[in-house]
Amino acid sequence: MKKFLILLKKEIKELLTLQTILPLVITAGLFMFIGNIVSKEAEKTNKPQDVVLINQDNSTLSSFVVENLTKANVNVSLSTENDINKAISDARGSNKSAILIIPSGFEQAILSGNQKKIDVYTVINNFSISGSKNYTNLLAAFAVTNETLSNSLIKQKIVDINPNVIKNPLAQNEFIVVGDKKANASPNEIMGFVSQQTMFIPIILFFVIVFASQMIATAVANEKENKTLETLLTTPVSRKAIVAAKMMGAGVVALLASVIYIFGFKSYIGGITGGQKATEQTSQIISSLGLSLNTNSYILLGLSLFAGILVALAISLILGAFAEDVKGVAGLTTPLMIIVAIPYFLTMFTDINSLSPAMRYLVYAIPFSHIFMAAPNLFLHNYAPVIWGIVYQLIVFGLFVWIAAWIFSTDKIITMKLNFSKMRKFNKNR
Amino acid sequence: MEQILTVKNLKKSYGNMFAVNGVSFSIDRGEIFALIGPNGAGKSTILKMVATLLSPTDGKIDVGGFDVVKNSNSVREIISYLPEDSGAYKNLTGIEYLKIMAGLYNDDNKKQKEYIEKGKAISGLNSRLSDKVGTYSKGMIRKLLLARTVMIAPKLAILDEPTSGLDVINAMEIRRTIKDLTKQGMTVLLSSHNMLEIEFLSDRVAIIDNGKIHDSGTPSELKKKYGKVNLEEVFVEAVKPSFAQNKEIK
Repeated sequence: MKKFLILLKKEIKELLTLQTILPLVITAGLFMFIGNIVSKEAEKTNKPQDVVLINQDNSTLSSFVVENLTKANVNVSLSTENDINKAISDARGSNKSAILIIPSGFEQAILSGNQKKIDVYTVINNFSISGSKNYTNLLAAFAVTNETLSNSLIKQKIVDINPNVIKNPLAQNEFIVVGDKKANASPNEIMGFVSQQTMFIPIILFFVIVFASQMIATAVANEKENKTLETLLTTPVSRKAIVAAKMMGAGVVALLASVIYIFGFKSYIGGITGGQKATEQTSQIISSLGLSLNTNSYILLGLSLFAGILVALAISLILGAFAEDVKGVAGLTTPLMIIVAIPYFLTMFTDINSLSPAMRYLVYAIPFSHIFMAAPNLFLHNYAPVIWGIVYQLIVFGLFVWIAAWIFSTDKIITMKLNFSKMRKFNKNR
Repeated sequence: MEQILTVKNLKKSYGNMFAVNGVSFSIDRGEIFALIGPNGAGKSTILKMVATLLSPTDGKIDVGGFDVVKNSNSVREIISYLPEDSGAYKNLTGIEYLKIMAGLYNDDNKKQKEYIEKGKAISGLNSRLSDKVGTYSKGMIRKLLLARTVMIAPKLAILDEPTSGLDVINAMEIRRTIKDLTKQGMTVLLSSHNMLEIEFLSDRVAIIDNGKIHDSGTPSELKKKYGKVNLEEVFVEAVKPSFAQNKEIK
């Protein structure tokens, strides 16, 4: 045990260097920085939109439109300019996002049952998302104003009737059913909120697995290249202790790295989603449906992730043993990355259970699939698949540890190698 | 005299190719025994088998009364191996490296301190031991590794090309250290293709080529036997028949 701890300390010291940590901290910092910028930009676009409005109609109805646009978060500056080019130039100079012209005869046309269009000149300064948000906000304000105007006109023409009945005679009362619980709410709103809250989980999981795998494979290849492994293998330390210390060292550093990464990534996601918080009503619905992770769920999610990392570490340890030098690690670990990426993308874009049986079992056979499937299952309180997934991951881990220990206890660790550069040269020369 | 290492009819093959083909020799306590031969002669393979890194295809190796295959753990307790061109952990300081290695050989703190003090003295790196190994020159790393190898006072030190790639001054220092340590009772099995080094260091020499020992004896015995003035010429003379045979095959 004492020797294992010495080896563990050595592994952590070797892995936890400025070169390892600095890129992570910089990446996390960049994520936070981008999130912060996006958040500030989002705040800007949520501010009232500054527009210039030329009211050529000067009627009760045109004033009604101006009043409602103002209520719908539009900052209207009235202008009497008749030259549109001059109006555009003025608007650009005063940083207005649009020029609206209510034409003369607007009220008369509407009241006589004809549409009369309002001219909208949108000033485009950039093609970013925040740039298009100005236009989207203006459209939303038009929609609200249109709704109010439409209701008012219906009431004027047909007395004693709810305008909504005319516009939407078919209305639905929406309920969500999760397991044996149900709630009166829109599925879109709840699903959107839950997926927004969980969207970062697979990304973090993917990162942790990839990072841990690369680290341990590189560590083994580095030891082989420097021949420090040869020295280590001739010391009176059990080969199992060497394997365990390598895996635990990489696991500890990977977890630390993931904490740094999660911190930066959460700030980033918080920034781009505007740190959207659930309304009190949404929170109540989510709670009544049980669509939140409790302590047990978090423990199971953590166990699933831990088991997945262990599998990745054991496989990478073997892959690292095949490498002749550090340069060969990337080529050797690429298939593993692809295997991790398959369930990552599948769980992001589809429901695994909806796949054909052959494809589904293939995905189940990938030990990493169970990590990505854990969160959705836990939200729906399907504990059994998560527990079986962890058991399966541990069996796979045991198998690969056994293989790794066997390799380290034989001279295979010294003699086996796959050299891609030599293989390429060989193929070229043939 | 007590024999520390006995190698009998040792063979190691990779597919149909024999890297070592029927090698036998033994080393007495306190002796420096050298395997000399060109690159690819099989020297390192023999050393790796004695160091428990490679399993013999056939034959027997006994170190201090323990069989390297059946009692590899016991063998590892009494040997120390210095691989050719090896490095150390770049992110550790020299002293951290010695501490870790001392801890791997002995659980007793007092004994570990003894090893470390000895390692510090042998390395001769003084205050540079507090610096990271990554900042060391090749010669400094080799001195650190040699110190690590011998600080635990192994029954058998296995040194593969101990001065390979070093400048004259560093190589001489390392040779002197090895020689001094054997005076204190350490046994050394080393390999080199530097005949001058071997002549200076070794008590006995085995000339190896194509995985076979062609002759062995003290440097002076061999020089006398072949009527040559140095080991280099002895080596050429000893491997001549095998060289001619190989040429015919080619």
